[in-house]
Amino acid sequence: CEKFLDINKNPNAAENVDPKLLFSYASTSYINLRSSGDLYIPMALGGQSITTGGNNPTGWGIPSEEQYQFSTFSYGNTWRAYYTSVGANLKQAISLAESATPKNNNAAAQCKVLLALVVYEATTVYGDVPFTEAWNTGISYPKFDAQQTVLNGSIALIDEALAQFDDASALKISDYDMFFKGDLAKWKRLAKSVKLRTLMTMVDKDPTKATQIGQMVTEGGLVSSAADNFKVGYQAVTGKKNPKFAINEQYNGGRNFFFGSKYVVDFMRNLSDPRLPKFFTKPVEATDYFGIEPGADGDDKHDVRISNTLQAADAPEVIFTYQEELFYEAEIYTRGLGVGADLTKASTLYKKAVEESCKFNGVDGTTASTFANGLPNLSTVPAPMALINMHHWVDKMDRGLDAFTQWRRSGPEGQEIPNLSLPIGAPAGKLFRRYEYPTTNEISSNPNAPKELVKYNEKMWFDL
Amino acid sequence: QQKKITGTVTSKADGTPLPAVTVTVKGSSLGTQTDGDGKFSISVPENATLSFSYIGFKAKEVSVGASQTINVSLDADERLLNEVVVTALGIQRDAKALGYSAPQLKGEELTKSREANVINSLAGKVAGVRVSSQSGTLGGSSKIIIRGESGLGGSSQPLFVIDGMPIDNGAQQISTVAGAVPQGSAGADFGNRVGDINPEDIETMTVLKGAAATALYGARAKSGAIVISTKKGVKGNASVTFNSSVRMDDILKMPEFQNEYAQGVQGTYNIASTNGWGPKISDVQDKTFPNFLAQDVHLKAYDNNIKDFFQTGKTYINSLAFSGGNETGDYRFSYANISQTGIIPNQKYSKNNITLNAGKTIGKDFNIRTILNYANSGGDGRPVQSSNNPNVIMPLIYGVPRTVDMELLRNNSINPETGQQITLTPARNGNNPFWVIDNNNFSNDLNRFYGNAILSYKILNWLTVANNLGLDYYNEFRQGNTRNGTIGALTGNFFTANIFNRSFNNDFIATADTKITNDLSLKVIGGANVFENYYQRNQSDAQTLTVDQLYNFSNAATVTTTNTSNKWRMVGLYGDIGLSYKDYLFLNVTGRNDWSSTLPAENRSYFYPSVSSSFVFTELMPSNKWLNYGKLRASWANVGSGTDPYQLAFVYGPQSTAFAQYGYGSQFPFNGLLAFSIPSVIPNFNLKPQNQITTEIGADLRFLNNRVKLDVTYYNSKTDDQIIALTLPQSTGFTSKKMNAGSVTNKGFEVALGLVPVKTNRFDWNFDLNFSQNKQTTQLPSEVTAYTLQSGWSGLIVKTRSNESFGIFGSAWERDPNGNIVIDPATGLRKTKLDQRLGSINPDWMLGINNSINFKSFNLSFLIDVRQGGVVYSNTASSLRTSGLAKETLANRGNIFIDKGVVLQGTEYVPNTVPVQSMQDFWGQFSTTNTEANIFDASYVKLREVKFSYKIPSSILGKSAKFMKELEIGVEGRNLWIISDHVPHVDPEVNFFGPGSAADGIEFNSAPSTRSFGFNLRVKI
Repeated sequence: CEKFLDINKNPNAAENVDPKLLFSYASTSYINLRSSGDLYIPMALGGQSITTGGNNPTGWGIPSEEQYQFSTFSYGNTWRAYYTSVGANLKQAISLAESATPKNNNAAAQCKVLLALVVYEATTVYGDVPFTEAWNTGISYPKFDAQQTVLNGSIALIDEALAQFDDASALKISDYDMFFKGDLAKWKRLAKSVKLRTLMTMVDKDPTKATQIGQMVTEGGLVSSAADNFKVGYQAVTGKKNPKFAINEQYNGGRNFFFGSKYVVDFMRNLSDPRLPKFFTKPVEATDYFGIEPGADGDDKHDVRISNTLQAADAPEVIFTYQEELFYEAEIYTRGLGVGADLTKASTLYKKAVEESCKFNGVDGTTASTFANGLPNLSTVPAPMALINMHHWVDKMDRGLDAFTQWRRSGPEGQEIPNLSLPIGAPAGKLFRRYEYPTTNEISSNPNAPKELVKYNEKMWFDL
Repeated sequence: QQKKITGTVTSKADGTPLPAVTVTVKGSSLGTQTDGDGKFSISVPENATLSFSYIGFKAKEVSVGASQTINVSLDADERLLNEVVVTALGIQRDAKALGYSAPQLKGEELTKSREANVINSLAGKVAGVRVSSQSGTLGGSSKIIIRGESGLGGSSQPLFVIDGMPIDNGAQQISTVAGAVPQGSAGADFGNRVGDINPEDIETMTVLKGAAATALYGARAKSGAIVISTKKGVKGNASVTFNSSVRMDDILKMPEFQNEYAQGVQGTYNIASTNGWGPKISDVQDKTFPNFLAQDVHLKAYDNNIKDFFQTGKTYINSLAFSGGNETGDYRFSYANISQTGIIPNQKYSKNNITLNAGKTIGKDFNIRTILNYANSGGDGRPVQSSNNPNVIMPLIYGVPRTVDMELLRNNSINPETGQQITLTPARNGNNPFWVIDNNNFSNDLNRFYGNAILSYKILNWLTVANNLGLDYYNEFRQGNTRNGTIGALTGNFFTANIFNRSFNNDFIATADTKITNDLSLKVIGGANVFENYYQRNQSDAQTLTVDQLYNFSNAATVTTTNTSNKWRMVGLYGDIGLSYKDYLFLNVTGRNDWSSTLPAENRSYFYPSVSSSFVFTELMPSNKWLNYGKLRASWANVGSGTDPYQLAFVYGPQSTAFAQYGYGSQFPFNGLLAFSIPSVIPNFNLKPQNQITTEIGADLRFLNNRVKLDVTYYNSKTDDQIIALTLPQSTGFTSKKMNAGSVTNKGFEVALGLVPVKTNRFDWNFDLNFSQNKQTTQLPSEVTAYTLQSGWSGLIVKTRSNESFGIFGSAWERDPNGNIVIDPATGLRKTKLDQRLGSINPDWMLGINNSINFKSFNLSFLIDVRQGGVVYSNTASSLRTSGLAKETLANRGNIFIDKGVVLQGTEYVPNTVPVQSMQDFWGQFSTTNTEANIFDASYVKLREVKFSYKIPSSILGKSAKFMKELEIGVEGRNLWIISDHVPHVDPEVNFFGPGSAADGIEFNSAPSTRSFGFNLRVKI
């Protein structure tokens, strides 16, 4: 009888897996979140780096996220991805790697770097979030940590990972590493750059971080070439296409839903930026590249749409680039963060950053270099930081959340770069600053969650 | 002049003498009773009339005349429940011996106005039973709840048992679109499996409501049991019965639309909007605007355009049965067919049933019976409901602007030159509804066999052994096609699913029946049960099709296949000891031990007992006219239950896709790699069985010659140690954890009142009323503030808290301490507060009122069904209002409108004086982001069934009467009239989540329910 009843073993699931199998799921879920309708579209529209085209029949339509009508699905799905499909799988992969015999230190460290990115993003999206008590099966109702704690926690995860990488060990995630195929040197450089970015996000609110920033740029070992870019390619195969492409393909006959934002296009047009044709598709009737004010109606004969080459089926999801690293370094030397201010060095770095951005976007090397070197030296402009911030933001135009975070940290309220206005049709009040907490996924089931509604236009700790 | 009359009173059915029959002389106080041999003797005046009455028999009057001997045979009165009731395990017991409420319905009651799904026929007929349909989909599913939901972990559906074989009543909801979209809970409604049975085959249906009644079934029947006995052939001449019904269906409740405003934004015409927020049509007659065909036209309202979308659905129900029998055997063979077309064009459903029930007695003591059933059912054009699928049909239909001519849309869904869809708008939400229903078919086809073989052998005079071996097996094939060119899936896709389910059940039962003394009888039953269920599903999703409308996997750029299966077993041993004293005092004690494969080995065995008793106290009273029959009953029972398979171990599931919003995520292998994930539910290695304790008391009383019958019951049922998936905040990394916690108590009253206000030879009127009131209360561990039963959309959640019933929660209007709505002074719009309780999903009480009037050969019967209390959420109402298409959105358009409410000034609330910027903004607040805006009182009064029939008397049949035993013609109707309700635009009786969920009261783009009216013909030869 006992044997007759011993059939309660699930034939469709595994009781043991290699941590790399969880890592691949977490990686894919993570890039899908970043490039799809739950995070990319709302952040890019709310952050005004792209626009809907207003009532243009083949535009995204209004009212939308551009008018601050954020879907509760976006709030909830983003939270779910960060905490469950991505975060919890990474956490379990770390635990499997560390409890294996022999211990797989490199796999654990790789997962920790990715988890640090997830933690960083989660707090820049929502503000105070569970961290110290999150992902713990012994704690049912994690408390919400202050953003400063979370960001410091993200840094601590990277420090742990850096200490844990073990070049001598052959054990690591290699074939299942969609980013670097197990190249540990690249992982370490990325880890340091991500840490630097986190410090840069904190330093305006917490100036004590400047010392650490100075140390890091002095020591080096950061992302140092385009080969270090942290990204995952999509495939030009049905079911594996970049969601940015797929949504246009499935809903709009292949026509891009989104238009260029005047904040980006006007800036680039005035510079005759060689990236313009890479970023945008110009109507044949139009004399030049023209963006539109967020919320305004796009004119099919005048205004540019986002390019389907930029958002190709196999376009990668980009998480960290060499030019991004260079923009931070240019900023560090311009502001003298933990190092002596050095505008000459900063000029070189920002021009290099723009050049790398051009090349990254498919501009040929000569044109890129000519364009970058033709940009003004920082010492000749009245507001060098404003220029760096603007270029930095333009480079991130197609990276919704990253551009939005760059904008938020570019200056105190009202002095951000660029100086955005309320989109047409948006409710009176302040500009978009964050996602609200998701009710279903967290608030209603967590007695330790904040009781008061934190609105989408309230600033968070790092955002001055 | 007195004379002495003697005689014998017998039962007409079997000729046995009847003792204790009351014999009275009409119009006098003279009277006597028959003796043990049915004999009586009485002195009466000349020309007297004798009246004979006896419980369970129809009273009879006889004129004395010249005779001195009067022998009378009495007809059994079937209206009296002094009858045999089929109880657990098919055990037949006298109703008077039952210590619990177990109402039994006759087959005719269920086929009064026929329903494809027999569950629907129970609505309003049994106190304590609540039936709700998931949708108006043909062959759609219905949920049945007996005495309130008792489970936190999932729906509390009763066990369905046919001729001793427990059958599957699954209502599988699977993802209905290819790709990585996690679906809402439903998608298309593919029905529940009890819908496969043929109502015409049912002889009786007993509703076992409480644990005492179901104790012998064990864990599977903790939420009650519906025990069905099918018709058998009867001794005598062979007969053929033919029944045919034709019915017409139309939409029960049509939304009310405005007919003054065109589509647009804030008063300006916009072809891209499917709404009514454009210009006032009469104001812009001097201009032309582009329509969906890009023609410049003058705007005109098409008042009936939505009504024109729907068609009259038709239902044909035909059945044929052959039956007969002799001294040693009987047979019944039946065939039934239902074919239906829907109110939404291209929707079809059909069902075929073949049944054979045959029994044979071999020798004197050996009996064999087999019941074989084959069913084939399936439908086309099942409407897609819920969200996240371009084929969700109701918003496409109801969203058609007032200025669109439905005929023009119908005739222009496809461009004849290009073969492309002509969309209603150029935007991403502009699918032409006719394109969707003409091309994107969601269908299923199911083949099912169930049946059993019962062998019984009377070893000794007092000892019988029987074995009942049964199998229930089905294979369902589902497919959903989305044609290339559908907005939201422009490259086309389709999915198929193969669902296989098999259950096997064997009961071995020994019954000993003996008289200990003349007055004391003992019946002992011992049994053993083995049950196994195996389920398997293979599903394939194909994306990006090359050749138009070729739904073949080789025509797809990519196919993702997933498979799942599970198996569980249960072994049970049970016993029942029944004592009866003098046929008026009864006591039953039962016990059962189950071993379930789904629980940890150390917790898998569990025992539960029950005790029930009944006392027919009128047997001890002198016979009187006022109270004919009185019985008290009481029971106590305990039931345990296990859980679903594979809930104990932490396992890693292989992943087929990674989610991305708008449905185009990544399929694995991605970049050549596979992927696994941790579970979303934290398993629990130490689960123990849930435990339910029920007490029930009741009385069954009959007054005034059985003209008044009253049955009252009080019950209290508490289910403890619930096996639940406690929702966790997702910051834990999981969505929930399995645990034993919480309890649900259901207590309530049930009253069944039967009256016969008029009864003559030619005319009688029967009035039956059943009332039930159930109060549900949850208790949760102190650290759990609320338990989520079902998550919905945009913060809408069905959950429960300690000391409360299951309720709908969601965002609500913010209110000041006096209950006034708080207005935002910046916009004039209402402020919203998250996560508020908005009402109970349960009714306060329910009432069914059944009338049956017979006049000569005419019968008129009708059933009124009343629900009072509880709330319902309507997404359709929300969409119609936010889109400015509902009639009520006409108010204040173009005027300055100041919403009634208060604004906060400093610390004071003062009356609001800020106008809203537009009525479009005002009604925009009624979107799904404010749940309260779309919450309504769920009470209703409905005319559920009407039947008018005429049995053609043999006198009219004349010569034909020789071979025609019965000919009846009738008119019947179902869901004819919502007499009263409180929900705008939709039928308040809706349960989107279906039978699989404990949640209720949610309408989300549900296919509308129908009213049905038609004719019926019944012939028996």
